[in-house]
Amino acid sequence: MEKQLVRLNVNEQDYDIYINPKTLLVEAIRDYIELTGTKRGCDTVSCGACTVIVDGMAVKGCSVLAIQAEGARILTSEGLEKNGKLHAIQKAFLDEGAFQCGFCTSGMLMSSVAFLNESKNPTEKEIRDGIEGNICRCTGYNSIVRAIDSVAKGKYTEDKA
Amino acid sequence: MNKYTVINPHEPFRVINTHVHNVDGWAKITGRATYTFDVKLPGMLYGKILRSPHPHANIKGIDASKALELDGVKAVVTGKDTLGVKQGIWRRYKDLCDEQILPVDKVRYIGEPVAAVAAITEEIAEKALDLIEVDYEVLPAVFEPLDAIKKGAPEIHDGFERNISVTRHIEWGEVEEGFEESEYIREDWFRCGGQAHMCMETRCAVSSYTPDKKLTIYSSNQSPYYMQGLMAGVLGMREGDIRVLSPYVGGGFGGKFELDGAIFCSAILSMKLYKPVKIVYTREEDFIASKRRTPMFYYTRTGVKKDGTFCAREAKVFTNGGAYTGMGATALYLTGFFHSFPYIWKGYRYDGYRVYTNTLPSTSMRGFGAPQAMWCSEQQIEWIAADLGLDPIEMRRKNSHKEGTILPGQATIASCGIDLCYDEITKWIKSKGKLPANRSIGISACGFMSGGIFNWFDSPYSFSSAVVTINQDGTVELHVGAQDIGQGSNTTMAIICAETLGVKVEDIKVHSGDTDNCPPDLGAWGSRQTLMSGNAVKMASENAKKQLLEFAYAQSGLNIVYDLDIKDRWVHAIARPERGEDFVQLVRKALRGKDGQKIVGRGYYTPHRKGMISPAYSYMLQGVEVEVDEETGKISLIDSMTAHDCGQPINHLGLIGQLEGAFSMAAGYGYLEYMPYEDGKLMNPNLVDYKMIRAPEMPPANIAEIDTYEPEGPYGAKEAGEGLTNPTAAAIGNALFHRFGIQMKECPVRPEMVVNALREKKEKEHAEKK
Amino acid sequence: MISDFTYLKPGSASEALEMLAEHQEDGKIICGGQSLLIIMRQGLVTPEYVIDIKRLKDLNYITFDAKDGLKMGATTTHRTIEKSALVKEKYPVLVEMEEKLASIQVRNWGTIGGNLAHADAAGDPAPVLMAMGGSVKVASASGVRVISLDEFYTDLFETAMNHDEMIVEVIVPPRPAKSATKYQKFNLLDSDQGIVAAAATITLNGGGGCIDARIALGNAASVTMRAKEAEKVLIGATLNDAVFEKAGEAAAAECQPVADIHASEEYRRHLIKVLTKRMAKAAWEQAKISG
Repeated sequence: MEKQLVRLNVNEQDYDIYINPKTLLVEAIRDYIELTGTKRGCDTVSCGACTVIVDGMAVKGCSVLAIQAEGARILTSEGLEKNGKLHAIQKAFLDEGAFQCGFCTSGMLMSSVAFLNESKNPTEKEIRDGIEGNICRCTGYNSIVRAIDSVAKGKYTEDKA
Repeated sequence: MNKYTVINPHEPFRVINTHVHNVDGWAKITGRATYTFDVKLPGMLYGKILRSPHPHANIKGIDASKALELDGVKAVVTGKDTLGVKQGIWRRYKDLCDEQILPVDKVRYIGEPVAAVAAITEEIAEKALDLIEVDYEVLPAVFEPLDAIKKGAPEIHDGFERNISVTRHIEWGEVEEGFEESEYIREDWFRCGGQAHMCMETRCAVSSYTPDKKLTIYSSNQSPYYMQGLMAGVLGMREGDIRVLSPYVGGGFGGKFELDGAIFCSAILSMKLYKPVKIVYTREEDFIASKRRTPMFYYTRTGVKKDGTFCAREAKVFTNGGAYTGMGATALYLTGFFHSFPYIWKGYRYDGYRVYTNTLPSTSMRGFGAPQAMWCSEQQIEWIAADLGLDPIEMRRKNSHKEGTILPGQATIASCGIDLCYDEITKWIKSKGKLPANRSIGISACGFMSGGIFNWFDSPYSFSSAVVTINQDGTVELHVGAQDIGQGSNTTMAIICAETLGVKVEDIKVHSGDTDNCPPDLGAWGSRQTLMSGNAVKMASENAKKQLLEFAYAQSGLNIVYDLDIKDRWVHAIARPERGEDFVQLVRKALRGKDGQKIVGRGYYTPHRKGMISPAYSYMLQGVEVEVDEETGKISLIDSMTAHDCGQPINHLGLIGQLEGAFSMAAGYGYLEYMPYEDGKLMNPNLVDYKMIRAPEMPPANIAEIDTYEPEGPYGAKEAGEGLTNPTAAAIGNALFHRFGIQMKECPVRPEMVVNALREKKEKEHAEKK
Repeated sequence: MISDFTYLKPGSASEALEMLAEHQEDGKIICGGQSLLIIMRQGLVTPEYVIDIKRLKDLNYITFDAKDGLKMGATTTHRTIEKSALVKEKYPVLVEMEEKLASIQVRNWGTIGGNLAHADAAGDPAPVLMAMGGSVKVASASGVRVISLDEFYTDLFETAMNHDEMIVEVIVPPRPAKSATKYQKFNLLDSDQGIVAAAATITLNGGGGCIDARIALGNAASVTMRAKEAEKVLIGATLNDAVFEKAGEAAAAECQPVADIHASEEYRRHLIKVLTKRMAKAAWEQAKISG
C-alpha cells in the first residue's frame, strides 16, 4: 500500500496532503489540514457531526474517502464566515441559541446551509427532514429549526456570504 | 412553532432574562472551539484500552510482550502499573470507594478496562490490543439486582452481603397512621430502564506528565475540580501538581464527573513515558464502558382518601448498580426523595437498595433518579385518580407543595409556583379541544433540586467560588470554577456579573475550565450552578462594586441617606440618575486610589441550614399529546406544554434551550432509548440500534414560565433543565393510559409492548365477559 | 479500522470491469461507500484492491422510454432519483421511497447500484423495485446479463453476481395502466431502515378486478422476498378490506423474520400483516385512479 499525494480544495484553498488512500475525508480535514471544526461522533454514518459540503451537497465526511473528494469544492464550518462577517445561518444560530455544547454544530450548520441552498420557502416539516441526518443531544432541535426558518424567511438578507 | 409565555413576569432587568447571545457562541459556530477531542500536543501518543470480554473473572496474568514488540508501540500498562487505589466519588465514605479503573485482580463487567496501550498512531495502538494476552479465570456472574440479592449469588465485592452496596432510608411523618386513615390503597411494581448519556463528544482525555513531576490533563468533563481531586488520590500526587483543563465540553448530562478510563489510563501511560497521551473512546466504547442511568425496580404503595387527599406512601427500590458504586449512591437517595414530590404526605417512607451486578456501573444522569421516580409515582397517581373517579389535575393540585411547606427533616420549600402550573396546563388542555381519535394527552408533575447540600466529596472548599477583576478600561475578568458543558453556565455567570456590576455582558470575559486559573467549584451536576455558582458570582460582583463605589461616594459628598448605583456603565445617584460619571472613569480613579491595584471582588457560596437535600426546588407540570397507531403500537409525539417555575430566569436563550433539550432526552427515556443487555453484554452499542429523538420526531415544546422568587437564589433564580427530564416519560405513559386504559409498568415503552398490552387487555375483557 | 488497500481509479466502466476481472475476489467496487465503508471499518470486508467508480459519468443517468421503461445507471445517487421530475412522474413510489432513505447526506453520495449490491434485506430500494418487476443489468469484462431482482438475492448480504461482475444499470419495466405501487417501512425513527417493510403493486383491469399483484417484503427474511401466497390471495379477487386482511395474514405466515432487540418474530409477523394489508390497499386505491 502506497501513500498518495492528494489535493483537496477546502474553503477555497488548495491543500496538498500525503495520505494513505483509506483516509476518510473527515480525517483528512481534521488531522492533515488541521481544521478541527468538523467533528466525529460515531462509526456508523449515523450522527452527522462530520457533515461537510462537497460540490454543494451535504455529505458525511466519515463515509467519503478523501481521495474521492479530489477536484471537488469542499466547504467546512470554518469557511462560512468571511473576514469576520458571519454567514446568515451563523447569525441565526446565535440569535436563536441553536447550539449548546456545540459539538454537533459544525455539521449542523453545513446541513442547514446545504438545505437552505436547495429549498425555497420550506415548511417546518421540510426543515426537520432537512436536518434529519444530524443528531443533537442538547437542544431538542427546535431552536435549530427556528434558526433555519428565519434564514429561509429572509431575516438576514443584508449579509449573504 | 413553539410558544413561550410568562406568567406573573417580574420587573425587567437590564441584562438578566434578556436576549443575550451565548458568550461562547462565536467559537462554537465558527468551528474554532477546541474540545479535548481536538487537542493535539507535540510528541503526543495515542492510547487505546483493552477491555474485558467477561462479566466476572479473576485476572490470572497479562502478557503484553507481543504487543510491545509491535513497531510503534511505546508502552502497555495494567493495574499492576498503578497504585491500586480504590477510588470513588463518594470520597468521604471509604467503603463506597470500590473501583480501581485498571483493576489489579478482578474484572466485574464486560468492557471494564484491563490494560492500556500507547503508540505513535491510533491504528497501531488498536492493533496492539489484539496482541495482549490476558489469562482470565471466568467466574459465575449475575446481571439483575433481584437475582444478585439472592442467597448463593456470586459475590461481586468482598464483604458486601447479598451484593448490596448502599442502602438509603428516608422517612417522615406518620406512615402507619397515614395508611390507617387511607380509604383507598394501591400498590404497583415498576421497572425503569437505563439510558445512555450519548454525549456527542465521547469520553476523551489528553494527559501530559513532565519531568518536573507535574501532570496536565485535558479532559471532557463536568468538574475540573473533581477530576483534579480524584486523580490526585489515585496517583498519589498533590492536587496542586495536577492541572485539569476542560476547554469546551461536548455534553456531559451527568456522565462526566466521575473518573473514567480515558482520563485515568492516559495519565498512567503518560507518567510512564513522560509524553502526552491521548485517549478517545469510540462511540461503541462510549456505549459499552461509560456509566449509564441507573435501572431500577420500584415498588410503591400509596394510600389516599376517597376525596383524593394523599395520606401515606411507602416505596422500596432495588437499583441495578452495576459493578461499582460511583455516583449511584446519590441517585439512590434522590430517587427516593423525589418520589414524594411535589406532594404533601402525612407519612412517607422510602427504602432504597443499591445492588451490585456484573453489568456496566450506573451513575448519575440528568434527573438523577427522579425520572425513574416520576415514571412510577405520576403514573400510579393517575391510576388512583381513575380508580376513584377524580380529576387527575385537581387531585394533584390539592396535595401539592406550597411556599412554606416543610418536609420534616429534609427540606423547607421557600418558593413554589406549581399551583399556577396547574392553571396553565388546564388552559392548554382546554385549548386543544377535542383531539383526533388516535391522540391523547398525558400529564405529569414534578419538582427538582437546585444543587445538593451533602458534601460527599469531602471538599474543604466552598461549594462555589468566583473572582471578579476589573481592568483599567472597564473590561472585567470573571473567574469561575463553574463548568460550561453546553448548558450555558459561562453565559449565565456573565449575565449575573454584568447585572450586578452594572456593565454589559460584552464587557465580561469568563474564565472557566482550568484548575490552575480558576477557583474550585464542585462543577456542573445536580443543576447546582445557576444557584450556587451564581450566588458566588453575585457576591464577588457586589464586592467589586462596593469597592468601586467607595471611591464614588468619597468624591460625591452625598448625604448618608442617598445611594449610588451603576447601570449600563453609568455610575449615578439612584435619586438623580442623570448625574454621575462613566464607569471607566471611576475605575481609573479607583485604580490610582488603590496604588495601582485592580479592583478584585471575591465571592463564594456553600448552602447552610437548608435541610438535607437542596437549598431550593423548581416545580413543573407537563402535558404531552401522543399519537399511537393502534395496530402497530408506534408512538409519535405531537405537541407538548410545560408550565415551569424556576424562580427568576437568568439566561433566556439558555433556559429555552435547556427546557427543549431536556424534553428530547426525557421523551427518549419514555419511549425510545432502549438499552438491552444479554448476559451482561450491551446489545446495541451504536447509533443505528440505539434510538434517539431526531428533528422529525421532536414535537413543539411550548413553555409557560411562571416567575416566582426564590430567596436563596441569585436574583431569585432556581434550577432549570434537569428537573425537566423528570416528567415526560410518565406523561407519555399517562397518555397511553387515557386512550387505551393500559398501564405500562416498564420504560422505555416500545411499540411491541403497546401491542401486547392491548391484546392482553382485549383477552382479559373477553374472558371477563364469559 | 479499515485495512490497507491499493486504490484504483478506472476512467471508464469497461476499465473497471477489466480491473475486476484481474483481481476477482481481491477487488471490491466502491462508489458512494455509504455501506461499504462501515463494514470495512468493522473489518468484515478487507479487499486488497478498491476500485473507485464514483466519478464514472457513463454510469450516471436516468432515462425512460415507453417500451423498455426506466433505466438508471448504477452510479446514480439516491438524491438524483429523489429529485428527478421524470421519476416522480412515472414511478412516484421510487421518489417516496428515496425521501425516506437514510439521510440527505447519505443520499447525496450513496448510489442505487451500491445499495442494491450491498444486499441488505432491510434496504429500501430492493422491495420497491422487486414489487415493480425490476431487474439489474450486471456486467463483466466478458459480457452483460440482466437478472430479475426476484433472483438477484441469494442469501444474507449475498447476490447472484460473480466476483468479476458489477451492477451497471437498474431497469424498471413500464408501468401498465391502472397499476400502482406503494411502499412503507415500519420504524421507530423517521428514516431508519425498516424493522420490516412491505411494497405492493396492484394492477387492475378495466372493470376494477385485480389482474396482478406483487408483494415484496423487506427485512422479513434473510433476503428481500416476494410474498407469493399473499399475491395469490389478491390476484383475481374482488378487492376489499377482508381480502387485504387475508393477504396480510398470508404474508405474515410465509415470511421468515428473525427476532432481534427491536422486535420479536411474532411482532414482526404482525407488522408484516399490517403493512401488507395497508400497502395492498393503498396501491389499489392509487391504481383505481391512475391511467
